[in-house]
Amino acid sequence: MVPVNPRTLLKQFMLEHKWAYIVSLLSIVLSEFVTVQFPNLLGQFTDLLQAHKMTPALILHYAILLGAVGVLYVLLYGVGQLWNGTLGRRFEYILRRRLFHHWELLSTSYYRYRSIGDLLNHAMTDVRQVREALSGGLNILTNAIFLLIATLYMTLRTVPMELTLYSIIPLLFVPVFVVWFGPKVRLASKHVQEGLSDMAELTEESLSAVRLIKATGNEEVEAGRFRLRVEEIVRRQMTMFTRSALFQSMIPLMGSIAFAIALLYGGYLALTGRILLGSFVAFTLYLTMLIQPLQQIGFVINNFQRASASLARLAVLLGEMPDIESPEHPVELPVVRGRVAVHLPTFQYADAEEPTLTGVDFELPAGQTLGIVGRTGSGKTTLVNLLPRMFDPPTGTFFLDGVDVRDLSLQTLREAISYVPQDGFLFSSTVADNIRFGDEFASSDEVASAARDACIYDDVMSFPSGFDTVVGERGVTLSGGQKQRTSIARALLKNAPILILDDSLSAVDMNTEKRILAALERRRADKTNIIISNRLSAVRHAHLIIVLEEGRVVERGTHDELLRHDGVYAKMYHLQEAEEAVG
Amino acid sequence: MSQAEPTIGKKRRSQSSDVPTSGIHSLLKLLPFAKPFTWNFIVVLFLVIIYNGTSVLQPYLVKIAIDRDLSVHHPNYQGLLHITIIYVVIVVLGVVANFAQVLVLQYSGQSIIREIRLQLFRHIEKQSMSFFDTNSIGRLVTNVSSDTETVSQFFTQFFLSMMRDGLSVVMIVIAMFELNVKIAAISMIILPILFGISFAFRNRLRNAYQATRSRLSAVVSFLAENLAGMRIIQIFHQERRQDDRFGELNEKHRRANVREYRTSVFFNRVLELVGNLAVAAVVWFGGGSVLHGAILFGTLYAFISYIRQFFQPINSMTQQWNTLQSSMVSADRIGKLLEREPSIQDKPAVERIADVSRVRGQVEFRGVTFSYQPDMVVLKNISFRVEPGEFIGVVGPTGAGKSSIISLLARFYEPQMGSVLIDGKDVRDYAQDDLHQVVGLVQQEVNLFTGTVLDNIRLFREDIPRERVVAAAERVGAHHIIERMPHAYDTPLVGKGQNLSMGERQLLSFARIIALDPRILILDEATANLDSQTEELVQQGLQAVSASRTTLVIAHRLATIRHADQILVLEKGQLVERGRHDELVAKGGLYALLAEKSGVNARVVSGS
Ligand SMILES: Nc1ncnc2c1ncn2[C@@H]1O[C@H](COP(=O)(O)OP(=O)(O)OP(=O)(O)O)[C@@H](O)[C@H]1O
Ligand SMILES: Nc1ncnc2c1ncn2[C@@H]1O[C@H](COP(=O)(O)OP(=O)(O)OP(=O)(O)O)[C@@H](O)[C@H]1O
Ligand SMILES: [Mg+2]
Ligand SMILES: [Mg+2]
Repeated sequence: MVPVNPRTLLKQFMLEHKWAYIVSLLSIVLSEFVTVQFPNLLGQFTDLLQAHKMTPALILHYAILLGAVGVLYVLLYGVGQLWNGTLGRRFEYILRRRLFHHWELLSTSYYRYRSIGDLLNHAMTDVRQVREALSGGLNILTNAIFLLIATLYMTLRTVPMELTLYSIIPLLFVPVFVVWFGPKVRLASKHVQEGLSDMAELTEESLSAVRLIKATGNEEVEAGRFRLRVEEIVRRQMTMFTRSALFQSMIPLMGSIAFAIALLYGGYLALTGRILLGSFVAFTLYLTMLIQPLQQIGFVINNFQRASASLARLAVLLGEMPDIESPEHPVELPVVRGRVAVHLPTFQYADAEEPTLTGVDFELPAGQTLGIVGRTGSGKTTLVNLLPRMFDPPTGTFFLDGVDVRDLSLQTLREAISYVPQDGFLFSSTVADNIRFGDEFASSDEVASAARDACIYDDVMSFPSGFDTVVGERGVTLSGGQKQRTSIARALLKNAPILILDDSLSAVDMNTEKRILAALERRRADKTNIIISNRLSAVRHAHLIIVLEEGRVVERGTHDELLRHDGVYAKMYHLQEAEEAVG
Repeated sequence: MSQAEPTIGKKRRSQSSDVPTSGIHSLLKLLPFAKPFTWNFIVVLFLVIIYNGTSVLQPYLVKIAIDRDLSVHHPNYQGLLHITIIYVVIVVLGVVANFAQVLVLQYSGQSIIREIRLQLFRHIEKQSMSFFDTNSIGRLVTNVSSDTETVSQFFTQFFLSMMRDGLSVVMIVIAMFELNVKIAAISMIILPILFGISFAFRNRLRNAYQATRSRLSAVVSFLAENLAGMRIIQIFHQERRQDDRFGELNEKHRRANVREYRTSVFFNRVLELVGNLAVAAVVWFGGGSVLHGAILFGTLYAFISYIRQFFQPINSMTQQWNTLQSSMVSADRIGKLLEREPSIQDKPAVERIADVSRVRGQVEFRGVTFSYQPDMVVLKNISFRVEPGEFIGVVGPTGAGKSSIISLLARFYEPQMGSVLIDGKDVRDYAQDDLHQVVGLVQQEVNLFTGTVLDNIRLFREDIPRERVVAAAERVGAHHIIERMPHAYDTPLVGKGQNLSMGERQLLSFARIIALDPRILILDEATANLDSQTEELVQQGLQAVSASRTTLVIAHRLATIRHADQILVLEKGQLVERGRHDELVAKGGLYALLAEKSGVNARVVSGS
């Protein structure tokens, strides 16, 4: 899929809703038309009073006019504001969905280097910032700009040009100041955000490891690390507040100086009779009306700058090319048999200095079982991660039923593979929901049967709420082996042509291991299985066993062949056999 | 604002646990944090008064200019000049006061959050493990990072607004009365109207706010969990389903948010409407008075300005309504957390151990019965004793309760019956700090931190020298693996160690405990992900370190514990067998069955 720029999304959205936007902006503009009548009316009123032409009827007339102006303004502005805000919230929704959708396309290699806290921050804060600028900002900006123009116009109409010009000089510094100082404020606020992210990350990490921290009495050390982050935040916040306070003081100051000039010069003009007192009154009112939009424009510019920083960050996120995608014209595989062939010259992680796998070459006919053994860090997990394209293998190296996995659609490929990762992840819902994850419509019988085959059924039934037991965050309320078996059940339920077990029996006792293996044999007799294990008992009966060492296949064959070969495998066997040789 | 709280609190309690149950008093509970800053707040108040005074004075000065210097028949340019100068001085004074006020206030606010954060973090760390079974980490992180931030807005924004705007209102009212008592008194009619409107909107605003808030937290939790489990989603090809779910949550949030927005727009516009009508009324009434010569025109001008000014603080106070709402919700959550006494605590006058290395390391369980939840007993009447320096194996089917035994020994939980003793002293009589120095634990779950390999092994403790870390790594056979990494011991780990293989992670956490050098060493499946050869290396290292200390090893691979001085066999929470390896095998019970199954060739499936 083509990555989109959020700015494009924004444009599209605004185009799509152009009528709504036009109407809402129009009604805001109209409301401003109405509201600038206010000083005008008051000015006329003053002049009439001064000229002693006022009558009670006229007073009532002006009061009613003023009241009508008030009502109309509130109605028009309210409608525009509502419409705009609702649209902004719709865009927020769209953007957030888009983001999640995009994240679903990104691969494991992307996630290893991102903290979840940081991603969350994007989805929540950045998106909200864009919305705020879009709805509130747009309201205020339209309002402010129009008010500015209208007020200027009205000012020019009521009083001599010079008065306006002189008074306005200090106000001209405002935009200059905004442009010069705004980025400094923004930078400071970015630093604050980063500081906050840092602290949240540390908190998340520490609390996930709280058992370890307690067990090692490391609370004080962690609190010390936390304190450093918190204090850094205070420092950064103060820098930001100093700058933004300076920024915010500047605008009213200029406004007041403008007012002082108006007072002096306008007063002088009024004194010398060149303008009417009424005009003077209206003018000072207009000036106060000018200060507000100016201040607001400063505020909105800040807002827009922040939003544009957010948009830029989102653009980076959404511009992240999904590195693992379905090909444009995927090869169709109506029935997947489960034949696997691997001809991999080398595979290297992007950030590694040397290849993790070299010269891995084997074929596994459909319906057979492959065992993979090898020392820690020899590349077993890496190898099986390449088949479902969790990481992308080079083209022409991994084949499913004779088709390069990169030529299959991700859907076909991943539906053909059940995978129990080494670090099984459970969602914080119920046991049943977790087992059903691969197929939400599975019947409870199917769930129970998968649970039985994974030998978790009895455990679950012994829980007070059975399959409805909530497992807690990442399964905290389950024992190590129960977690592992739940993820096995989840994979078994999926019943795919290929099953990958990555060291998935490490946390279960020997007896349970045997039972699960036997169940596997029953359930998946004619299907392809790939089993990684450190215990040879789990791979002993595999049709093919490969032994990895430092990323190379050093031995291959059946159990008996490998024993005869008397190499690494045989050595492992003898080590483990010694375990068996009971005293 | 606070009188009506309690009843509303009660009503809401029944709705959902996510919704807070209290109002303003939850904020008041956090006041002690603000206490050290009392003087700062007083200074702020003082600065606000100056600032407000200057802004209230401004229309007044203009009034003087109009009535005294401009509209009379002998115009006075000199007077106008004076007034303008005074005006400028006052404005500058106001701006400076405002600037200083912002800094002092923000500094106080930030210092308050810092204290709340530090205390909150320590407090959470102190909670027992049962707390973490039910509280999601994501939510706790939100408490520490954003709830504190929101609460500080109470001290900065809300408090400021109440002071500044409240003061403005008061000053404006005073100024109006100064000008003309009669018109001012009549203008006061708007006060009850404003209160009435606010009251009418109060509940609607609050409910709308809370609905949005709880929907939002649903969105956040969903995202957090799904990002963490993205790999599973992709492997199981459930992108579409999760996408739909996210869409649903998101849509709910949008709806609630729009409703909240509508309510608050409506509220603010109604207030504004009242303001505008008030101006019209003043013109009508005041105009008549000017006509009858009851007041000067300048007075009317000032009145009109004041009435308009009057609504500015009112408006910004109502804007602060949301701040108040959100900070109450946040304060409530923080308050609840801080109030929560850790269910496991040191005894009040606990005796500290002078020298941890003098602990002999005798462990005893006496009739221990334990359950996590009331209706499911996990350990039943467990008794055993481990002499100092012994090597003990614990085996049993998965879910038998092995890890639970360890948790009790480390006092992560407390047994309902019986007691756990170290050197004859109940673990409850130890300070937890001491206990955890005595008992070192390698858990089933591996936790690594963002940081270098070195820091991960020594857990960021600067007092553990590099040599000791290297020695520990050598002991467990991790040294050569670490040496192979790009920067050896200074290699940074990313994403909680995701660039390491599982076995490598396990070796690091093993090295960690060796570096910490505890008196009692506990290994919970610490070698489960290792291959036989690596495991053998680890075994040799283990043998060396276990010679001088009590060691408890949980393992499914019986080879690991075959040489144990004593093996405890657990089944369904009961201690069913105990003895040495050969004794147990000879006995032909559960252990013998497990031993039989553990061979490479064993294939027989026991009917069970
Ligand atoms: N994302 C990554 N980037 C760089 N190196 C990696 C990454 N993931 C793993 N490695 C390295 O690649 C090597 C092979 O890792 P892999 O996880 O495949 O080992 P394994 O055989 O599964 O080991 P174990 O039995 O311990 O699980 C290891 O040395 C590991 O440190
Ligand atoms: N935090 C918890 N809350 C509720 N129940 C729990 C919790 N931790 C464990 N249990 C339950 O207690 C029982 C014993 O768990 P324990 O972790 O002690 O087993 P174990 O013997 O270590 O098993 P394994 O070999 O699978 O790790 C299990 O049924 C488990 O579901
Ligand atoms: Mg692995
Ligand atoms: Mg366990």
